Amino acid sequence: MDRIECQWCKAQNDADKKTCDTCGAPLDAHNLVTDSGWREAPRLKDMTEFRFSSSTCQVEGEIVPVAELNLAQGDSVFFEHHVLLWKEETVPLSTQNTGGGIKRMLGGMPHIISIASGPGRIAFSRDATGEVVVLPLHPSMELDVRGHSFLLGSHTITYSFVQLKGMVNVLHGGEGMFMDRFVTAGEPGILLLHGYGNVFERVLGDGEKILVEPGGFLYKDSSVQMNVKQQDVKTGMMRKGMYLAEMVGPGRVGIQSMYVHHGE
Amino acid sequence: MSTTTATYTCRYCRMGSDGSGTSCPFCGAPVNIKDRVTDSGWEEQPPIKDMAKIQMGQSSCQVSGKYVPVADMGLAGEDSVYFSHHVLLWAEPSVQMTTMPMKGAWNRSFAGMPLVMMQAKGPGHIAFSHDDPGETLAVPLQHGQAIDVHEHRFLVATGNVTYDWFQSGIWYTTQNGDDTEYHFPLGQFLDRYVAQGGPGLLLLHSPGNVFVRDLQEGQAICIQPSSLVYKDPSVGMQLHIEYPAGGLFGSYNNRTVWLRMWGPGRVAIQSVFEPPESPNNITNHSRATTQRWG
Repeated sequence: MDRIECQWCKAQNDADKKTCDTCGAPLDAHNLVTDSGWREAPRLKDMTEFRFSSSTCQVEGEIVPVAELNLAQGDSVFFEHHVLLWKEETVPLSTQNTGGGIKRMLGGMPHIISIASGPGRIAFSRDATGEVVVLPLHPSMELDVRGHSFLLGSHTITYSFVQLKGMVNVLHGGEGMFMDRFVTAGEPGILLLHGYGNVFERVLGDGEKILVEPGGFLYKDSSVQMNVKQQDVKTGMMRKGMYLAEMVGPGRVGIQSMYVHHGE
Repeated sequence: MSTTTATYTCRYCRMGSDGSGTSCPFCGAPVNIKDRVTDSGWEEQPPIKDMAKIQMGQSSCQVSGKYVPVADMGLAGEDSVYFSHHVLLWAEPSVQMTTMPMKGAWNRSFAGMPLVMMQAKGPGHIAFSHDDPGETLAVPLQHGQAIDVHEHRFLVATGNVTYDWFQSGIWYTTQNGDDTEYHFPLGQFLDRYVAQGGPGLLLLHSPGNVFVRDLQEGQAICIQPSSLVYKDPSVGMQLHIEYPAGGLFGSYNNRTVWLRMWGPGRVAIQSVFEPPESPNNITNHSRATTQRWG
């Protein structure tokens, strides 16, 4: 039987499918890639449905999208509590400590994450115009994500965080002190992010560099090195207030087009 | 930019091209779409199609994204663009960035405008985006053509477009106790861009949707001051203050401060705006017309 490979997540799909079963990306749309190599994250069609583990996820709405899950018995997802939009009353909620409590609190990051377990329906959204980015994680993957950008992760993913090193990274990186890290071990998982504005991804070759506005950074493979560097140009009468994140491959880099500039 | 045999004139940027592509090569507006003109005469500026390319001599600009578009400039050789540093999204390391100081630093600082513009020189790619959902507007300028732009709408311009600014001359004062408060509903300054030594390209970003209309000689319209995106320099403007009918004291607080504009020339407005602040009585103002109803 003919199969179609999803250009976003590389999963195989039946030839008659219009959207990818694993990530929801349209299979009948061309990749949108700029001349400089940035690829637009697939724009999920309204009401697109895809599967993970024994559960399903449907993404609805186009301006501030909602991810609605139908969790199967035995499946669960974790999330920051303020992204919860609604749930069936039968869906149990629990919490888990992320560790690093005081430091995380000082960094403005949650030190407790919420967990919803199936069976039942539950929905999530963030509070800004943007896109839901679906990132299926294969076994043994590590992905670093900007703080407060993940919408939910499936129970097979381990959630931790990376403390940024160096004062320049902390003060001018636009990330604060921490970056979320999502790791899969033996099983695949699914991670949903909310990108503010539009989201673009580029794959950097080994040693390839790109300079990115720190506020525009959304995610990267952990193999990509990120260092915030002051640029040797004045942005005021006296000060040199321009900082850019130097990303060095190999690996994927995701950026968002709406961000708060942290240079001032 | 070079003008080819013009069989098609873009209804948005008014530049001629052969019309063979799906979008205008000068401003990226879709070609051959139906007029989208309201009954009152405002023409909706269509968003630049995703991945549309605009040619600027040897360099090009590709606009991608739907909600918060990104302008990806491919700069050739010595071509350059300038921009305010907070709109820079990413750059290739080969792009050289320098600064372009502005005159009137003290006044610009006081008005919340950037003191320094950044200049980027090719070869290489560099990309820009604003931090609001909205539309990127490409405004091609013929040699010598000028356009006046509301502050903070500017995204990036080619190196041959000169940038200047002038006092908007639109202001009023209110009294708060012993304090006189100054209000600049259009901003204290307007930016003026002029193409020199050949055609140039100006990119603006507008939150919300954009509508354009041509005012005829003497034709006037009142708009919310902060909704202005750009206007031709030939378009005149002043305050127009309206006091509604009804109420003993309330009408003074419910007054509306408009920007009255008259032709000839183009005016572009955006659908996202902030109404002028302060409910206090207006004690003094720049040149204005007044309407008291009832």
